[in-house]
Amino acid sequence: MSTETAVMPEADVPPAPGDGRPSAGRLRGRRARKDRAGYLFLLPWFIGMLFTVVPFFASLYLAFTDYNLLNSPKWIGFENFTAMFRDPVLLKSLQVTFVYTFVSVPLSLAAALGVAMILNKGIRALPVYRAVFYLPSLLGASVAVVLLWRYVFGLDGIVNAFLGWFGVPAIAWTSDPDYALTTLIILHIWTFGSPMVIFLAGLRQIPVMYYEAAAVDGASKWRRFRSITLPLLSPIIFFNLIQSLIASFQTFTQGFVMNDGGGGPANSTLFYNLYLYQQGFNQFNMGYASAMAWTLLVIIAAFTALTFFSAKYWVNYDN
Amino acid sequence: MKAGGLGLAAVPALAACGRGFGGGGDGDSGDGVTLNMVWWGDAVRAEKTQAALDAFMEQHEGVKIEVEYQDSGPYQDKLATRFAAGDPPDLMAMRMDSLREYADRGALLDLNEYAGDLDLSGLSDNAATIAEVGDSIYGVPAGLNTVGFVVRQDFAERYGVAVPDGDTWGWEDLAAFATAITDASGGEVYGTGFEAQTLANILVFTRQRGEDFFTEDDRLGVTAATVQAWFEMINGMRADGGFPPAGFFENIGGSADQSYIAQGKLASQIIPTNNFLGYNEACGGTLALLRMPGETQGARRGQSVDCPHLWSVASESEHPETALKLLDFLLNDPAASLATGTTRGVPANAEVAEEIKSSLEPDDQLATDFLISLQGEDLPRSLLYPPGGSAVFDFLDALAVEVEFGRVGPADAAAQFIEQAEGAIAG
Repeated sequence: MSTETAVMPEADVPPAPGDGRPSAGRLRGRRARKDRAGYLFLLPWFIGMLFTVVPFFASLYLAFTDYNLLNSPKWIGFENFTAMFRDPVLLKSLQVTFVYTFVSVPLSLAAALGVAMILNKGIRALPVYRAVFYLPSLLGASVAVVLLWRYVFGLDGIVNAFLGWFGVPAIAWTSDPDYALTTLIILHIWTFGSPMVIFLAGLRQIPVMYYEAAAVDGASKWRRFRSITLPLLSPIIFFNLIQSLIASFQTFTQGFVMNDGGGGPANSTLFYNLYLYQQGFNQFNMGYASAMAWTLLVIIAAFTALTFFSAKYWVNYDN
Repeated sequence: MKAGGLGLAAVPALAACGRGFGGGGDGDSGDGVTLNMVWWGDAVRAEKTQAALDAFMEQHEGVKIEVEYQDSGPYQDKLATRFAAGDPPDLMAMRMDSLREYADRGALLDLNEYAGDLDLSGLSDNAATIAEVGDSIYGVPAGLNTVGFVVRQDFAERYGVAVPDGDTWGWEDLAAFATAITDASGGEVYGTGFEAQTLANILVFTRQRGEDFFTEDDRLGVTAATVQAWFEMINGMRADGGFPPAGFFENIGGSADQSYIAQGKLASQIIPTNNFLGYNEACGGTLALLRMPGETQGARRGQSVDCPHLWSVASESEHPETALKLLDFLLNDPAASLATGTTRGVPANAEVAEEIKSSLEPDDQLATDFLISLQGEDLPRSLLYPPGGSAVFDFLDALAVEVEFGRVGPADAAAQFIEQAEGAIAG
């Protein structure tokens, strides 16, 4: 995440002043320097990868074995994968993860864009507001905040106290299987900070003259949003969408902490990754857990590919 | 000094040779055996445990003990990964429901093969064989424990409801008591409340009906009728108002201070008896400790003497003799139990338990007496959970919530539970 955001602005570096026609050799030299800088930024990732590449391939092997952590893995071919189709809890966890992703990702992106547009209006002390709105996304997946959330949404929590003023009876937000996932979706929407910061940067790139020209022509606010902001921002929306989708499919902490590792109540917050973890570490089915991990990779890859494929219909790369 | 250290350390080295086990690495000779010991618990338990270990190390020069401890949830994961990495601890805390997962895969030392190093004669038969699989024993109780009902006497007095006789009361008496409290308090306090999905609770009920939750031959012993009756009993109390409504039990953490009974929202609840002191303190010393209801009405006794925390030794331990020596010390030497008190339950060695009793706080003494007297009675023995048992609890947990919120009826939930649980154990 941090690598991408650090590298992204590099693409927007304005051309160096000068004669405007650098020679091919100088261009190549500059390109090489730029590449070096890029690789330098990627270096932490390469170092980190050394530690993940072995487990990565080991898990691919384990996915085809019966492995209980204590005895050596036994090759069983595709049995783990076929067993997944017969596992009702796994299907439930997929359902939880899909509902969570497809509800919370669009809503959190909409919230991020909305706040970014408000902040883009030239508010004073913008950096302060930006930091304040960004803060939740630093904390959202942290254990402390999920714990805090448990109290905010507890039976005697602030939310019920607030609703109580309007005569709404107390709702067991975290322990009622009908509401527990909703509570986590609200938590996710609240952590719109990082897409917001990126949206804000994108909004600042849109030349003001387009809006001025449109205003002169009598375009309404909505029309300006639809015809100028959305198309010019679409590459940023695309980027944020991909990022959020991938992160959301891998949600773990929220479900783990909200119910002490259980994914309860009644499996209503049993995210796919949480079930994977339970299988691997609580029930010692590490082969099955590995198979689940690779299946998730395929699911994420499929949705990412789908999003990329759809991009040519709605993402505008022309200036 | 040096000679003494050598002499002591030489004993395990010789024994290791006798087993034809490579004669031990450099750790078993010379002046240093370092044991790695892991367990779950909090800082208070750590302090008490360290005091016991210090006493051991004073007796056994040259032995070093590296201790690691953490919360019970992450502990399970850590232990599994330690084994997976081929780096198991020498001595470890083991849960009853995990023991078979490790023992069946050859990861734990069969203590029966080391009967000379570890003396189990001070333990009751039930306690000594609590972790028996076939002819092998893979763990010994770090302490004994059971569940009991605690009742707030101040509430009973305030609302004019008599505290039932804890030795003879039945589940109907509990229901009547609970409803009376809730009614008299105008709904401020619920008469009783406990989680339907907590295994220790339903276990007692199951045994009272003449069934074992898991049978000796690793099958599911509990019947659908029993699970249904359990859900229906709780639903009935909830409908009458004695039991809190759905969603009442939230994740509030496990400490006595945070408990609903300490908050004054419940007049009675089920606790592990070794926590009695903590709960009674949190409730201002107003608690009475009762047996579980239904002990005299059922087909047989439901309470059992259980073990929340076993000690096991890894079969791959490089210093099994030293580890067993430490285990023997923790189990049989009063000095160890004087240091640790009842943090892991009542000492399994009955003589030791009697000997340290006077050093305990009055509330701990009461809980200890409760358990000692129970141990003298004729109770059905507690059985280990078969592999796959932990999945069974996940099913029970999910279904109990479905029943609590009225999304599934007790009969359907019971049938689903049996089907899922049988599948998990068979698989």
